[in-house]
Amino acid sequence: MRALPGPGGPRAPAPLLLLLLCLLAAARPSWADGHPSASPVTSLPVREEMMAKYSNLPLESHNISLTEHSDVPVEKNITLQRPSNVELICQFTTSGDLNLVNVTWKKDDELLESNYMINITGSIMYTLYTVTIINSKQMGSYSCFFEEEKEQRGTFNFKVPELHGKNKPLITYVGDSTVLICKCQDCAPLNWTWYSSNGSVQVPLDVQMNDKYVINGTNANETRLKIMHISEEDQGSYWCHAVFQLGESEERLQLVVLSYLVPLKPFLGIIAEVVLLVAIILLCEMYTQKKKKQPDDGKEFKQMEQLKSDDSNGIENNATRHRKNESVSQ
Amino acid sequence: MDGGALSVLPVGAGVRGAPLLRCLLRGVCGGVRGAGSTRLLDRLHRNRGAAVWETPSSSPGPVGSALSTKFGPRPVVMAGGILAALGMLLASFATSLTHLYLSIGLLSGSGWALTFTPTLACLSRYFSRRRSLATGLALTGVGLSSFAFAPLFQWLLSHYAWRGALLLVSALSLHLVACGALLRPLFLTEDPAVGGPGAQLASLLHHGPFLRYTVALTLINTGFFIPYVHLVAHLQDLNWDPLPAAFLLSVAAISDLVGRVASGWLGDAVPGPVARLLMLWTTLTGVSLALFPVAQAPTALVALTVAYGFTSGALTPVAFSMLPELVGTGRIYCGLGLLQMVESIGGLLGAPLSGYLRDVTGNYTASFVVAGVFLLAGSGVLITLPHFFCFSAPTLKPQDLVTEALDTKVPLPKEGLGED
Repeated sequence: MRALPGPGGPRAPAPLLLLLLCLLAAARPSWADGHPSASPVTSLPVREEMMAKYSNLPLESHNISLTEHSDVPVEKNITLQRPSNVELICQFTTSGDLNLVNVTWKKDDELLESNYMINITGSIMYTLYTVTIINSKQMGSYSCFFEEEKEQRGTFNFKVPELHGKNKPLITYVGDSTVLICKCQDCAPLNWTWYSSNGSVQVPLDVQMNDKYVINGTNANETRLKIMHISEEDQGSYWCHAVFQLGESEERLQLVVLSYLVPLKPFLGIIAEVVLLVAIILLCEMYTQKKKKQPDDGKEFKQMEQLKSDDSNGIENNATRHRKNESVSQ
Repeated sequence: MDGGALSVLPVGAGVRGAPLLRCLLRGVCGGVRGAGSTRLLDRLHRNRGAAVWETPSSSPGPVGSALSTKFGPRPVVMAGGILAALGMLLASFATSLTHLYLSIGLLSGSGWALTFTPTLACLSRYFSRRRSLATGLALTGVGLSSFAFAPLFQWLLSHYAWRGALLLVSALSLHLVACGALLRPLFLTEDPAVGGPGAQLASLLHHGPFLRYTVALTLINTGFFIPYVHLVAHLQDLNWDPLPAAFLLSVAAISDLVGRVASGWLGDAVPGPVARLLMLWTTLTGVSLALFPVAQAPTALVALTVAYGFTSGALTPVAFSMLPELVGTGRIYCGLGLLQMVESIGGLLGAPLSGYLRDVTGNYTASFVVAGVFLLAGSGVLITLPHFFCFSAPTLKPQDLVTEALDTKVPLPKEGLGED
């Protein structure tokens, strides 16, 4: 069983033991700040100080499982917005001999030399890497590598929370007012700012103009930009920025400004069509009524003649009479 | 009208085929408001009360009926169409929620009420032998247009935003005026005998069968809309995902459409009073509603939903085509207006009652059972209607109805237009 010493959590070993370990690991760089030039003797109080400073940060733990048969590199995305202590655990199972597996950790492409432990229980090999993330320099991708015949890789990607706006452009009219909303899930940024851009350059919005822009948000996880008295120049892209301790996040929203003439044309077109329809219907009706009236005069005369001759037949012809009358009056 | 009425669309067929097409168009036009208003209002402020917009707001109903009795359906429907379009037009300029509610709710709502009742009533005047089928086909208009207009409105909203969409919907609503223009005036024999709107209303309020019928329909209406409002929520209680639940609603809507047409055809094909068919469909709807809480398996729920959709759709055309058998075609406008006004109370009470039961008991079992009970009670009242147990076809002649209503014994002149 191989075990490399390294800080695993909020432990506080005796200073003597620490001194011994530091003397053994003489050339190793200080782990928290990535300063390779720190000497082992001075790294001890620095490390203790840092452990004391950061022991009150929340602790998170993340796992990746790999086997010898993993074809694609396994990735895990971790969303962080506040400084925290993070434990990254990679576990590796293989049918071969675990003692022959070579384990390395890298941050982005830089090899990491300390702060990780390797442990073998049964047929699973665990490696644990601890990192305290306090600013954007520690954010990035941390990868664990298990080298047997093939190299298996697991990656932890640290990201600040993403912002969600609207995928579709917001449509509004000249003279109207609209609200652009940016929000993120379960987050509380330090600051929100809005920019507008035409092209590639982002220009901060002049919030002093109170009758034009009003920024407020009911919750910490959203921001609302209200734009009033919209004109055609307000068309374009708007960016909302959220500033976290560990980085920045931004999202783009598009505003399209239409004038009232745009829907007016189809509106007038449809109205004209309806007026035309009604006119056609009424005219057709008048026309068919006129046509009926003219031959009707002739028919009625004939009908009177027939009635006079049918009268003598009596009641049996009531039905026929009704039917004939019906066809005339319709 | 003889059998040629339905077989020919009005390309050269003259008067006979035209009324059917008019009423189909009316159905499609009328559906504009149903699909449009719910979608837009939902979009704007996700108000669950938006479901109420689906039911025609019937308080101006009697006004529309009275006007139709006096002037005929055409001017009333055209005026209603203009009102409805005007309401939407003003709503597109709205700057506050109150403004929106007033424009759409009051103006457009009155417009829709003015178009709905007269067109449905005049169907019974134009058709006597194919009455049920015509009513059934006309009522499919609402469902069909919901299907057709839903994607259209989404498209309008995404291209023109809600203001532009309301503007264009207002122009589309103006087609109600064109539909109204198709409703040619019709004079039936008993029209002069039954008198003006005031006299008709008075005689209706003393008409026993009509009052019993109103009670029956109010009870039916109370239970009728509950699944529309609560089915999706009930399914979610049973751990269904939103997408299959919405799909099930579409299935119900399709079987509703089929039921309307089938029942319309059946109502004309089966001899005898239509009241029996109405009772059959109402009982079946009540039973299927009451069985809803019992069904847990997905197949059972789907089957019940199809059954509910079919039977509830089936009872609508028969409910409307039964009215002229009771009160006669002369009083149909006032009768329908009064009926709509009273039965809408049931509709407005039904959904909140069901929601209240749900809050009190924790699930929808009580709501569904109560809805079923209301429907069965309504069908029970239907048994008390006259001629219910007759086996021969007592096709009530207009003369009989008028003499019955007005207690006069004046012999009437020969039958006029539009009758068998």
